[in-house]
Amino acid sequence: MKSISLFVERESFVHGIDPITKLYYILFAIIIPIILPSFTISAICLGTSIILLIFAKVMRKTLPVYSFVFFVLITVVIIQGLFKPGNETVLLQLGPVAMYKEGLQFALTIVFRVTNIVSAFMILVLTTKPSDLVEALVRKGMSPRIGYVIVSVFQIIPEMMTTMSTIMDAQRSRGMETEGKLLVRIKAFIPLLGPVVLGSLINTKERAMALEVRGFNSRNPKTYLNEEKTYPNSRFIQAVMLVLTVCAVAWRMFL
Amino acid sequence: MNNQSMWSLKFSTAALVLIPVAVGINYIGKFIAGVLKLPLWLDSIGTVLAAMLGGPIVGALAGAINNIIYGFTDPISFVYAITSVAIGLAVGILFYKGFISGWGKAMVAGLIIGLVATVVSTPLNIGFWGGQTGNVWGDALFAFILANTDSTWLASLLDELVVDVPDKLLVVLISYGIYKGLPRNFVQLYNNNDKVETLD
Amino acid sequence: MKKIVVDHLKYKYPLGEELALQDISFQIEEGEFIGIIGKNSSGKSTLCQALVGLVPHFYKGAYGGKVIVDGLEVKTHTIAEISLKVGMVFQNPFTQVTGSKMTVYEEIAFGLENIGLPREEMRRRIHEVLKLMKIEHVKDRSPFDLSGGQMQRMAIASIIAMKPDVLVLDEPTSQLDPAGSEEVFQAIQDLSGQGITVIMAEHKMEKVAQYCNRVLLLHEGKLVDFAAPEKIFSRNDLETYGVAAPVYTRVCKALGMKKQGCDSYPVTLKDAELALRGSLG
Repeated sequence: MKSISLFVERESFVHGIDPITKLYYILFAIIIPIILPSFTISAICLGTSIILLIFAKVMRKTLPVYSFVFFVLITVVIIQGLFKPGNETVLLQLGPVAMYKEGLQFALTIVFRVTNIVSAFMILVLTTKPSDLVEALVRKGMSPRIGYVIVSVFQIIPEMMTTMSTIMDAQRSRGMETEGKLLVRIKAFIPLLGPVVLGSLINTKERAMALEVRGFNSRNPKTYLNEEKTYPNSRFIQAVMLVLTVCAVAWRMFL
Repeated sequence: MNNQSMWSLKFSTAALVLIPVAVGINYIGKFIAGVLKLPLWLDSIGTVLAAMLGGPIVGALAGAINNIIYGFTDPISFVYAITSVAIGLAVGILFYKGFISGWGKAMVAGLIIGLVATVVSTPLNIGFWGGQTGNVWGDALFAFILANTDSTWLASLLDELVVDVPDKLLVVLISYGIYKGLPRNFVQLYNNNDKVETLD
Repeated sequence: MKKIVVDHLKYKYPLGEELALQDISFQIEEGEFIGIIGKNSSGKSTLCQALVGLVPHFYKGAYGGKVIVDGLEVKTHTIAEISLKVGMVFQNPFTQVTGSKMTVYEEIAFGLENIGLPREEMRRRIHEVLKLMKIEHVKDRSPFDLSGGQMQRMAIASIIAMKPDVLVLDEPTSQLDPAGSEEVFQAIQDLSGQGITVIMAEHKMEKVAQYCNRVLLLHEGKLVDFAAPEKIFSRNDLETYGVAAPVYTRVCKALGMKKQGCDSYPVTLKDAELALRGSLG
């Protein structure tokens, strides 16, 4: 069964940080460059995230994500450099085409913003087992029923994909065309999607009943088979982030 | 149907179990669109179906959870969770008000949903990408408008619009078709107005 | 002691035109193994679901009469409350997998976590049911990586771990191959031997005849008969209810050989053999 999550099982101190602290880190990485908008600060934030990703030994898994992001960012740099309203100072002239300083500066802000946010999210996503995150949130007070919904997606999607590929093979062997003109391809969409969708929707009825008879709506306080994982440094890391945020605000207000 | 039931936060188990399947349907829609190299995303059919069956809150929740889960495969989608929530809410409201009750109306609804998605996504695009969407055709239009006017907002809005409106129109039509193909007694499970009548 | 009392039960599904259950009354003693038979849509599933409260609480609809299980009236209690007394296993083992657990062991724990059992008790019970259902060797596998028979035994184990007094099974082997079915029937028989009251809707009549001590025949939502398997399967009007007697009964009937010392035909291989030997010898 192919997993849909990007999580990589590794031994590292980043993996050992509690999922809630990683959530706070995302917030931290987004908020600091907003409080202190400068390239230096953004670069420090981004650098911190990348160092953490390296320590977590997951850099290789970040490459597909980064490459997609950079592909779009290159178009951002080009489009903003050429056309941003308010472009005045020509930096580079190539025949009739001119790249402007204002547009490139703005594009650089965006490059930092996007890579910074994406990197912070990747720390969470690549080093946290989704079910650990959900269990941590449920223990913090999130509804266990919502927790169930989130965790079950990770198993239900691969199951649906298996059904899907069976149907796809069957339809192809019956001579369905999946290549060629746009109209031909659009016509193929429904017979491929329909059976999986109807089947999996109808199955939800029996699954709902099966959950009900297993106490899904029980009013008893829930207990856990697995003991709560303990994460020794989480309080300390959270405190450091809080102090840094307060310092950043103070810096912004008084200096 | 009255508003109270439409906005009820007490989910039945049937409605909750619908959500993971809705996310799966979104995923599969996107997958098939990719296999068939369609120029659209078609990745919100499940959210729309969840909203048609379970109402706006279930639709919104399906949208939010969808993007959170997608975030585990592609962190950028966390940012667009708000758009998915808006789609779920809008479909749920239109459907529960009885607005989507035939193919013609479904088409109008598809256009409305496309507009809603555009209006919600545009500020996100501006805040995140400086206005682009990452879709080649939309971004080409973005560059063209930016070159000829001085409004990033207009360029960004149209960038999103040309991609979102056809996409959501098709998504709503496909979802409506599937909805009509579902057995009535299955659809009935989500009608939370029902009380047990007595035969004694 | 009366474990289950069903009294003038009537039920109509929300969009139904007719009553799915029409004025059904019967009683079941503790420890009995009951088979429910009848053709498709005769009301077997509906009756099963009425015993756990899915009818009416899950579907809504219109409800009349009373179902009392172990002193608990179904109509006035939630499914979560009733599920502590009555467990239910459904047809399709696949849809009963919660999809939220990574291993068979954790899957069985799902219900136990919901009802709030202490960890030690949970582990003890899971260990017990894994052994009882003979799935210890797959306890660390993904629930989706099992064979049909193993998956259904896991579904039964998940219910049994909640220690219900009554186990309701709705065609638990309809999606399984013969080997898988036999595994499941053996497991259910073991449970029955431990004193659990078992109620099973089933269309494999040889199995019903072999395992059940009483059989309830339904037709179009009405109770036709509720008696010992020999009596039910010896009925001459059985075919009008869309039910075929076990193959042994049909053979003996054709040969006109009744069970020794009584007025009905044999229903199991063993009894048929005895009857045939008796008449030959």
